[in-house]
Amino acid sequence: MNRRTGVFALFFLVLVLPVFAQQRLTISGQIKDAVTGEDLIGAVLSIKDLPTKSIGTNTYGFYSVTLPEGSYEITAQYTGYKPQVQQIKLDRSLKLNFSLTEQPRELDEVVVYGRRKDENVTKTRMGLQKLNTREIKNIPVLFGEKDVLKTIQLLPGIQAAGEGRSGFNVRGGSADQNLILLDEAIVYNASHLMGFFSVFNSDAIKDISVYKGNEPAEYGGRLSSVLDIKMNDGNDKKFSLSGGIGLISSRLLFEGPIVKGRGSFIISARRTYADLFLKASKDTSINQARLYFYDLNAKANYRINDMNRIYLSGYFGKDVLGFGNTFGINWGNSTGTLRWNHLFSERLFSNTSLIFSNYDYQININSGVKMNIISRIRDYTVKQDFQYFGGTNNSLKFGFSESYHQIIPGAITAITNVSLKSLTNKYALEHALYISHLYSFTEKFSLEYGLRFGLFNLMGPGNFYTYNKAGDITNTATMGSGDFVKSYFNPEPRFTLNHILNQQNSLKGSYARNVQNLHLLSNSTSGNPTDLWIPSSNNVKPEISDQVSFGYYRNFNENKYEFSTEIYYKSLQNQIDYKNGAELNFNENVESQILFGKGRAYGLELFLKKKSGRLNGWISYTLSRTERKFDEINKGAYFPARQDRLHDIAIVGIYDLSKRWTLSATWVYYTGNAVTFPSGKYEIDGKTMFYYKDRNANRMPAYHRLDIGATWIRKKTAKFESGWTFSLYNAYGHENPYMITFQDNKTDPTRTEAVQTTLFKFVPSFTYNFKF
Amino acid sequence: MRNSIVFMVSLLVLIPLLNACKKVIKLELNTATPQIVIEGNIYDQPGPYVVKIFKSVNFDQSSIYPPVTGATVIIRDSSGHSDQLTENQPGSYLTSMTTGMPGESYSLSVTTTDGQSYTANSTMPDPVSIGKIYFQNSLIGHNIYPGITFADPANISNYYRLVLFLNNVRQPDMNVTDDRLSEGKTITYLIRLRDTDIKLITGDLVAIWLESVDKGVYEYFRTAGREGGQSASPANPTSNISNGALGYFNACSVRSLSSKVP
Repeated sequence: MNRRTGVFALFFLVLVLPVFAQQRLTISGQIKDAVTGEDLIGAVLSIKDLPTKSIGTNTYGFYSVTLPEGSYEITAQYTGYKPQVQQIKLDRSLKLNFSLTEQPRELDEVVVYGRRKDENVTKTRMGLQKLNTREIKNIPVLFGEKDVLKTIQLLPGIQAAGEGRSGFNVRGGSADQNLILLDEAIVYNASHLMGFFSVFNSDAIKDISVYKGNEPAEYGGRLSSVLDIKMNDGNDKKFSLSGGIGLISSRLLFEGPIVKGRGSFIISARRTYADLFLKASKDTSINQARLYFYDLNAKANYRINDMNRIYLSGYFGKDVLGFGNTFGINWGNSTGTLRWNHLFSERLFSNTSLIFSNYDYQININSGVKMNIISRIRDYTVKQDFQYFGGTNNSLKFGFSESYHQIIPGAITAITNVSLKSLTNKYALEHALYISHLYSFTEKFSLEYGLRFGLFNLMGPGNFYTYNKAGDITNTATMGSGDFVKSYFNPEPRFTLNHILNQQNSLKGSYARNVQNLHLLSNSTSGNPTDLWIPSSNNVKPEISDQVSFGYYRNFNENKYEFSTEIYYKSLQNQIDYKNGAELNFNENVESQILFGKGRAYGLELFLKKKSGRLNGWISYTLSRTERKFDEINKGAYFPARQDRLHDIAIVGIYDLSKRWTLSATWVYYTGNAVTFPSGKYEIDGKTMFYYKDRNANRMPAYHRLDIGATWIRKKTAKFESGWTFSLYNAYGHENPYMITFQDNKTDPTRTEAVQTTLFKFVPSFTYNFKF
Repeated sequence: MRNSIVFMVSLLVLIPLLNACKKVIKLELNTATPQIVIEGNIYDQPGPYVVKIFKSVNFDQSSIYPPVTGATVIIRDSSGHSDQLTENQPGSYLTSMTTGMPGESYSLSVTTTDGQSYTANSTMPDPVSIGKIYFQNSLIGHNIYPGITFADPANISNYYRLVLFLNNVRQPDMNVTDDRLSEGKTITYLIRLRDTDIKLITGDLVAIWLESVDKGVYEYFRTAGREGGQSASPANPTSNISNGALGYFNACSVRSLSSKVP
């Protein structure tokens, strides 16, 4: 432990000790949806006589608050639900559960969007964006397939990776620097079909939180962001079947109680069927093609008693692409999480998780050669989290996690005519220990601070090479099974300070260090399913980021409007780029193809949201710079990263026209990506070649697009509900470039020209939705 | 084989493009000072051989490349024989050497009139014969692709470059392969025509050269063939010539075979 962490630990003790000194009475319980029995994450309890205090439920819908003896009026509230008030006389610790009912959509009434109306101002956390599925439902998207990853791209600091794509960049980070969690399991590849769809079926999703680099200490492993997605638990009151039939895909969801009021399950599935249309084609080069994806989400939970509850959840998805018997490729994720919630006391909540995560792809080739290639990354994780609820101004989280990573970069089977050898498998252990404390000093100041210790061990067996600058092997170390090849220990301190000026205004400041030990090698503009994950090693050092941010939050007009602005500066170490012509496919010495450098990113984010009324929505604007620096590129000068975008604007509007019709529109505008265009040309063996000077010295044209959508509820009774959603993507048909290529002019070979490819102009879609 | 994987991966990327629309646009591109380009080949077939030296132009200029004249161009072999090339046309320098020898290392030295000098080395590997030419229907676009099979010599690293002639016209595609993944086996290589306007039909004459090249030349053509819109970091090919010259110097042995499209 170095000096800095020592000081930190001392600081910690001073603040935490008073927590344990208090002896008062505790109210604890669950807040749930009255109709479905779903736990409400982040629902808020407020106490009338303590107007500045509010207590949120944790990710399992549990809350606990400790107060002096007395009488209280307690209100539970949640986005779009009727608040519920209870009078209590607190003379002993008690259990108090709330069941909230959804606010019916009365147009003249004010519908509250936002958990606690002024949560934005009063919560200590910053750099956090939350969405619930109600907000996602009405936003128009490509092919009408509502998608959480595309919706979060409309928030400040979160950029779309490209046209129609579910990939995203957070505050200048690269795509692999986002930690994407589905019920705590890492999802290594969150996209289907080359990124046009995300793997998250929004039917199965309850809650989404995006932390933009200053996440609490319980999270770790990626530099830029955490996208924490929680699946629905299922209806524990009655059975229900719902679904949707669309142009591209169909969905089906079945849920119901296991034992009424004690446990429930949910199964949700989705499949695309573009391939069925392909089969109908007479063209042999089309009707033999296979092209589809499917996914399945399942979850069950059971409450054993008031102190114990278990959850089992899983995801399984696959993309299949192929052509006759000649070749095929399929790829997909599977995850599984087994959790046990246990209450040691009404103030000490514990969750134990066993987590499995797997991403793999398989390639079959039967053309000239015959072979199968399998590549895989698989994790086994044990995680223990404790949450201790202090008084109204204290809460403590601590715990640990242990992960075993197993990477098969490429294994070959069933070969003819190839002497291909499988690449060396990689094994690693990742240990983390964390503690984090939320403390309100006074009514005006609160501090959340924490520390995460991360230890990463790369293990044998295998040959481990050391390379010089030229990429030649200078040393080979042969390691046995279980030998530690290289270990990295990194403490990650994080804190956020909130200064509440008054009920409408607050200032926040934060610092966070993040460390990343798994790195994705990807050198194409769009990302491929065959991109390789590699662990930190003797050649590859852990990526490190330090982010400082400040924010100002203001709510006005009785919390109808929410405004926030944040500025951030982020410094990045041990960033990865590639040598010219790097060979990343099937290369035992792939680490010799990598360059290491640093980066910086800074920006200003503005966000204005209208949360209630017939018209609601938001405006988001980001002004930012993202740069990288490598000795080998552009003579060692800072250059704009591909995702560097000066301006990024999104406007989202949702309008309730009538009880049956909801209209929506989104408009986005952003600066084109930094790219490398030719600076000259010459000829080799009769072929025109292009001469490149500086990396990313050019810009794609600016991107802008309007999408419109409508939702129509055709029929709504207690037994049956049905309706349609319509959307038009790129409504004014702007030709946004997907890529720009350079070629000889066909008619005049002495001329060369730039050709722009546009993917989507006016893409209409409609979906029929139903629910029994 | 790797070529098949790369093909599949690029196919994945191309899927969204099937329905895309394309148009020529006007772009303001950066300019660059003219760069020197050197292109030289020596074969194990009768010479003389040519070294071409010229300069690059800006993107919006006409594709007519200014020759570099008056340079001193010398090729030496490992036993010290040196051959000073003579400029028979502007920018085009001819050897007096008659036939290159497999196993021999050649060094090229170019000194231009402005005093800059450029050097390169290339070693001519032993020739490898083509087993047969075959034809295969393309999966997409209704075309016929020619391919070859050949036996990779065991126990040494081999690098190959393929050159395709259609009806005696040399095609500009860059095709290279190595034996890293098929050491000592029969290698099958299908040439996928990049230019979708070229369709093979029955009776077309196809000739394929199989050049056995050294690693430096292989790296040059491998990285040169990479050029395209899908790399996140397009860059100049890795040249085996010093002092920042573009182009390559290739001493290779070559075997060829021709066949009519059935």
